[in-house]
Amino acid sequence: MGFDQVEIVLRPTSIEEAWTQLMERGDAARFMGGGIDLALFAPRSVKTLIDLADVPLSGIDEDSSGLRIGATTTMTEAIESPQLSSYAKGFLRDVLRQVAAPLQRNLATFGGTLASGHPWSDVVPALLILDAELTIYDGSERRLSLESFYGERAASGRSLIRAIHLPPIPEGGRGAFVSFTRTAFDVGMLNVACFGSVADRRWASVRIAVGGTPGLGTRLRSVETLLTDQAPSEEGISQAAEAASAAIDARDDRRASASYRRKLTARLVARCLREIGGLSKGGAR
Amino acid sequence: MSDRSRREYAVVGKNERKVDGVGLVTGRPKFVADLDLPETLHVKILGSPHAHARIVEVDAHEAEAMEGVACVLTYENTPSTRHTTAGQGFPEPSPYDTRMFDTKVRFVGDRVAAVAATSERIAEEAIAKLHVRYEELPAVLSIDDARRDGAPVVHDEEDATGIYDAKRNIVADVDIDVGDVEAGFLASDVVVETVCETQYAQHTPIETHVVLAYLDSDARLVLRTSTQVPFHVRRIVSYTLGLPLHRIRVIKPRVGGGFGTKQEVLLEDIAGLVALRTGRPALLSLTRAEEFIAARTRHPMRARVKLGAMSDGTLRAVEMEAISNTGAYGAHGLTVLANTGSKTLPLYNKAPDAHFFGQAVYTNLPVAGAYRGYGATQGYFPLETAMDELAERLAIDPIELRRRNHIRVGETSPIFQKLGEGREGVSQTIKSCELARCIEVGAERIGWSEKRGRRERRGPWVHGVGMSIMMQGSGIPEIDMAAATIKMNEDGSFNLLIGATDLGTGSDTILAQMAAEVLGVTLEKIVVTSSDTDTTPFDVGAYASSTTYVSGNAVVEAAAKVKEQILSVAGALLGVDPGVLDLGEGAVIAPNGEHVGLDRVCHRAMYESNQFQIGATASFVPTESPPPFLANFAEVAVDTETGLVKVVHYVAAVDCGVAVHPKLAEGQMEGSIVNGIGYALTEEMLLSSRGRVRNPSLFDYKIPGALDVPKIDIVLVDSYEPTGPLGAKSIGEIGINGPIPTIANAIYDAVGVRLKTTPFTSERVLAAIEAA
Amino acid sequence: MTISFSINGERRTVRIEAHESLLDVLRREGFVGVKVGCHTGDCGACAVLFNGRAVNSCLVLAAKADGAEILTVEGLGTGDRLHPLQEAFLDEGGVQCGYCTPGMIISAYGLLSRNPNPTEEEIREAISGNLCRCTGYVKQIRAIQTAAERMRSGDE
Repeated sequence: MGFDQVEIVLRPTSIEEAWTQLMERGDAARFMGGGIDLALFAPRSVKTLIDLADVPLSGIDEDSSGLRIGATTTMTEAIESPQLSSYAKGFLRDVLRQVAAPLQRNLATFGGTLASGHPWSDVVPALLILDAELTIYDGSERRLSLESFYGERAASGRSLIRAIHLPPIPEGGRGAFVSFTRTAFDVGMLNVACFGSVADRRWASVRIAVGGTPGLGTRLRSVETLLTDQAPSEEGISQAAEAASAAIDARDDRRASASYRRKLTARLVARCLREIGGLSKGGAR
Repeated sequence: MSDRSRREYAVVGKNERKVDGVGLVTGRPKFVADLDLPETLHVKILGSPHAHARIVEVDAHEAEAMEGVACVLTYENTPSTRHTTAGQGFPEPSPYDTRMFDTKVRFVGDRVAAVAATSERIAEEAIAKLHVRYEELPAVLSIDDARRDGAPVVHDEEDATGIYDAKRNIVADVDIDVGDVEAGFLASDVVVETVCETQYAQHTPIETHVVLAYLDSDARLVLRTSTQVPFHVRRIVSYTLGLPLHRIRVIKPRVGGGFGTKQEVLLEDIAGLVALRTGRPALLSLTRAEEFIAARTRHPMRARVKLGAMSDGTLRAVEMEAISNTGAYGAHGLTVLANTGSKTLPLYNKAPDAHFFGQAVYTNLPVAGAYRGYGATQGYFPLETAMDELAERLAIDPIELRRRNHIRVGETSPIFQKLGEGREGVSQTIKSCELARCIEVGAERIGWSEKRGRRERRGPWVHGVGMSIMMQGSGIPEIDMAAATIKMNEDGSFNLLIGATDLGTGSDTILAQMAAEVLGVTLEKIVVTSSDTDTTPFDVGAYASSTTYVSGNAVVEAAAKVKEQILSVAGALLGVDPGVLDLGEGAVIAPNGEHVGLDRVCHRAMYESNQFQIGATASFVPTESPPPFLANFAEVAVDTETGLVKVVHYVAAVDCGVAVHPKLAEGQMEGSIVNGIGYALTEEMLLSSRGRVRNPSLFDYKIPGALDVPKIDIVLVDSYEPTGPLGAKSIGEIGINGPIPTIANAIYDAVGVRLKTTPFTSERVLAAIEAA
Repeated sequence: MTISFSINGERRTVRIEAHESLLDVLRREGFVGVKVGCHTGDCGACAVLFNGRAVNSCLVLAAKADGAEILTVEGLGTGDRLHPLQEAFLDEGGVQCGYCTPGMIISAYGLLSRNPNPTEEEIREAISGNLCRCTGYVKQIRAIQTAAERMRSGDE
């Protein structure tokens, strides 16, 4: 497990070279960002690591089409970037600051984090509600939604994520996020990400994602539909919260039981919705 | 912030820099694994995959044939001597139920074999090439399973000794009473009863268990080991390996945390045998997963307390029953059980009727051992919960109920005599107790009267406050022994040689402070050598909160003897009666104000006249165990929608006698409290239905981090213990006992539910709130 | 394979195995101030500064260190000239067993090198990945505050 079986380490300087190296080595090779996921979970079959540190893939820029985060940008670099930390009124920065601890954030890359797609990931639901897209390279470049990327899951660790794209935030849009943990330096036994705006006293652009169920974060589109175009109300939020609770694929594991996860889902979705709808009773945790 | 001692000490009571501090902050090689010896072999242990099984065969041929493998140890080629791994004074009050490599495994992770190889990688590969055949046996996986009629017998071997009733899996049975508790309950106006359960929890020292064994140039076995008990290690390894004790040297360098798990002879036998057989140094350290699975744990317990009181709040009868799960081996089983009662019941000494009884049982589960608090932690949960329940029934403030019943100076408790370390204890009268002041200060600091019963709401969060009081002990009377040797050098400095074991607790520093105080010098004039069985005199080691009190008294006595010698030499030098001289400021001080430097005095004794080495050894065996006392107060906030509990403010007001080093004393409290908060809220070893630890990692076993710590106030209340060295008692353990009952009582104040099972996870708390 | 890096200001060329972690290599090279606590990035005892950022060296593939600048606690200060963080940890009682101390100091150093006037919350966050079982973190946080004050006022 981990690095134990690694025999070869390569350091390409271009994305094409990196891809060629992967193709040459087949299933025994993996791309490496920071390497955290590989250090802990790389299967015994992985003998070659392709370190992307010298491929020019880091950096954050912003234009009219939104925010572009280079895949080898570390979590810390993202948090410190002025563009990202002001995006969605600081929502994404606040989420990233809750991920693990600075020691991990200083090493973990955005692309690596998404490629490993651990079910407890806080970043995934937060990006799902922002309608994030990825540019990936698998011989040629293509762009797809983050949701489709996980839908495909064809390459897992073998697709080369080039960049993460976040579209401009709809007018008045706000986000709220909770990762419900035991201690602060912990992964959530549930995480909830909500985004929405209230326009003409109606919900607009409502997006809800719940993760750590223990499954990977997913959008709850059926619940989003319940709210769209409705007038924000405590009743409506309650209904949506109950629907979310029923919609998740909850299971028991070491951190929590399925039934507790359902309760948490209802209560935390309600809190997040209240916060973004401006009906706050005390705010998300 | 503390009520500082008003005694005029020059060194004691000061926050000196730790004597070993500079090396620690600069990363100098001070820990076991920091010593790199040529030709070192790396040792790995194969742990059992089964909770209970006979080993039919261990085929080591393939492993032994591997390039780089130096030796393989199994039951076939190692001593079969049954012993205990518990680092306790001889004769150890723990059963001799452990064999170095047995023909039976008794928990998932139990030793099956060990491999020593030229690298860790090769050792791991060789472990994978060991072929073991097991005959699985039915396992007992709970206290109730273990006590059932016809339950599988964990220790069915013929040659184990010291087990109370092996056929019924009972390691120890304790039953003591005072007066007639049944009559007492009948005579009481109010009776309350509560049952609490505590979980499998772990010390998680940041440095796991590790030992480096090697042969010195005289072919003596040296064990450089991360231990709390160097002298017990020497004796037990000698016994286990059949090696004469004088052929073994045990050295404890710096230790990366112990908390009780290193009061155990866990690895030294294996590493020692590898070194002896191969002639090469052998390094054996546990991985973090192995530390969880195969080191030691807290004793999970089910403990019941029943209290009977009169309507004016005076306790009439106190009963405690404890059933303790000691895991697959019985080390510390009896003594932790006994301490559950002996460190709790005397606190409420005025009840004329008392009864403590219980059993420690074997299970095929991870092995419990010594852990800070040592049974008192488990006992105070039901005791202080029951006291709060009683207060409610009587409509008396919980603080007032404690005040009316706790022990005071000049008082005793029959429990001291009746219950000691498994056997009878030692009677004692309390000579220092500032518990009343602790309660007063703590209540004020937390804002008790403003907050109790208010249930202040902030959104879904409800606030509450709770409290508890407790005592512990300072060493084991008439059993512990500590010794200290002091010798003088001609520059007026001294070597202090102590067996006492610094785990990071700072004992090297505080014992040096005591010596410096008596000898009238600054701290840097005391050069400490500790915990080396060749060069330092005997000490039982760091446990039972003994170091400050027991080792300290030995140091003070040795220093007093040395002082006498210095004054006698100085008297001869000055031509005066030594009786009029004193020490201070690094010199001998005459009544006329004349100072003679200590260097001058030592020079005379070393080189000039009537030469002799100024020095002395003193030993100390305590005749009592003066308890430190503690009042805990906590404000919690409970999220009524999710069940999450946050500790907002924690106040601990403690009487430890004179605080030799206030910051180190506070540090002991802060550390033990944070550990206790983890034990109360988030820490839990989870076991599968087959007895396997499901979360053997810090990723899944959550201990508090820097973002989890509430505002903590420690108040060191001014106190003085007349039998203590320069007035000191102890402080090492007591703090960890506070959080569970205090937080439980605070949760009740906030949301009206009483939690009886730890940890108080958000899921459990929510379930309790919704059930109410 | 061979890698070249700067360690505490000194250039080194070292033979490594591809599978080794930076932690393994640093300790092998004599930097025993870098501690082993878990080997899984959960405790922070192995933290070093890697190109100016505090990371768990157990999670860094040694090969990644080729061309990097690494700082360990040994490089911060020595007995006769301690770094203000080392001084403060000693003065405030922030060192008990000392095993988590090197990693803790490295994380604090990483913080103060970018944020010379951190709030208490920011200090807690900076060391949130460094586990300690002895101190309860209270005096360590105090030590970092003291070090920051001293460094701001130019005290050494």
